[in-house]
Amino acid sequence: MSEKEQDESTAARVSDPAEVARMAREALRSAARGLAAYHFDACVRCGLCGESCHIYKTDPVPENLPGAKAAKVASFFRRYHTALGRIAPFLVGARALTPAALDELVEAAYGRCTACGRCGLNCSVGTDVGAIMRAGRNVLAAAGKVPPNLQAVVDNQLETGNQMAIPPEELRDTAAWISDDLRLEMGDDDAKVHVDEPGKRVVYLVNPREVKFFPLSLMAAAGVFHAAGERWTMSSRFYDVTNYGLYSGDDPAAAAITKQAVEEAERLGADEIVLSECGHGFRSFRWEGPNWLGEKYAVPMRSVLELLLEYVREGRIRVDPAKNPARVTLHDPCNLVRWGGIVEPQREILRRVTSDFVEMVPNREQNFCCGGGGGMLSMSEYGDRRVASGEVKAEQIRATGAKIVAAPCHNCADQLLDLNKKYRLGVEIKAVVELVYEALVL
Amino acid sequence: MTEHKIQVGDADVEFDQDGFMLEPGLWNDAVARAIGREEDIDEMSEDHWSIVNFIREYWKEHDLAPPVRLICQQCEVSVRQIYKLFTAGPARGACRVAGLPKPDGCV
Repeated sequence: MSEKEQDESTAARVSDPAEVARMAREALRSAARGLAAYHFDACVRCGLCGESCHIYKTDPVPENLPGAKAAKVASFFRRYHTALGRIAPFLVGARALTPAALDELVEAAYGRCTACGRCGLNCSVGTDVGAIMRAGRNVLAAAGKVPPNLQAVVDNQLETGNQMAIPPEELRDTAAWISDDLRLEMGDDDAKVHVDEPGKRVVYLVNPREVKFFPLSLMAAAGVFHAAGERWTMSSRFYDVTNYGLYSGDDPAAAAITKQAVEEAERLGADEIVLSECGHGFRSFRWEGPNWLGEKYAVPMRSVLELLLEYVREGRIRVDPAKNPARVTLHDPCNLVRWGGIVEPQREILRRVTSDFVEMVPNREQNFCCGGGGGMLSMSEYGDRRVASGEVKAEQIRATGAKIVAAPCHNCADQLLDLNKKYRLGVEIKAVVELVYEALVL
Repeated sequence: MTEHKIQVGDADVEFDQDGFMLEPGLWNDAVARAIGREEDIDEMSEDHWSIVNFIREYWKEHDLAPPVRLICQQCEVSVRQIYKLFTAGPARGACRVAGLPKPDGCV
């Protein structure tokens, strides 16, 4: 990270209130540039957004209404960027960015909204509520108001290169350990997790959760890559597919996190970067990153789901759906599907590698958030609401009668594990790549 | 609002909204068994204890949850076995039973 970026990402932690307010205003101005001002002033208060929000549906109080949450952000915009708001703020419900107003926004923007975007999709006048809520997080990040547990994850990423502060030697040791099991399972001495090998076609980014706590998905990916004859590697320094700057609203930090991984892939000489199953990581790297950096990437990138689909379509791997006989349903992570546009690859893959695939309803871009998005899993102070709001997803799953939930997002997977326990669903949660690995015909 | 408290012996043990102990110093075997029951572990086996005690010792030394590799290698369990012993996984399952605070990140 350059000194300038370091300054920008830590600038928020100044204590002078006037300086905090100035930076919050600057962040608001910057966010408003990227978001048509129309969105801030379009709400007609029809209330339809309520039924589209998993948090409002499970706790229908006015402060959970998406329109009401967005109105808090819009009131700041009106105060500084409209003529009436500047002259007579009390007439138009415009509010100044005072410390008390900012504190109130923390609860609305981080604690009552996962920025899943479903309300925006169903808004009667097309207001992009999810983007407004992220603009609110931009303002709060600039004012140094990010909840500490969420900020700790961003700091880990900036200071150590990954969100769980895993040292490079631990990545190498874990890769070697998983490789031992992989060779046994595949009966193939050449199968392994490749690390720090320059000149490979693919550099693979994973969620550090896969390294530290849930390595079966990494092992499965390594197995499938091996079966497909892929030339691939991970970096032991910058392999983190996540970007908590998206969640916290800290764009300079998000840019720095993006840059370290992209430059590492360039250094390793990769032809493409492949992103493991992570909703917000996919959205951040694939779509937001170039905007944060202000430039195009030198190395193209895509989701591992797109690559897996290519393998099965082109016959680079042989699969037998009878190896996955149990009923499987699919969770649509908001950041991967509604925000990210990866909708059909995971479905075609599941139809090819499992024998009883059923959709939950609603699905695709109309899916409900599991409740764990937007950084909720890192903020214990909202844990009760997170699990309560997941009831919508839990009932969707229960209605399918599935035994396995394929969740192409590690963040969602943790929430689904909690929902499984709380709502007694009796399901297993798996990454799509695990089901592909289990269907392999070697 | 859920009550985040369980009674173990004479003591009330309190948890954050993720179910992790607010005061890890109050942890003992009886507390571990009580959290274990919430994880559907009716009876803590030798493997459960070996994992929980290892996590606890590692955390005391490093102020961090150990990676699953170390847990499996030190306690001689396979990677697939650990998810059978702790269905919520090493973080929200085993670390919770071991009385650690919640690890950072996507867990």
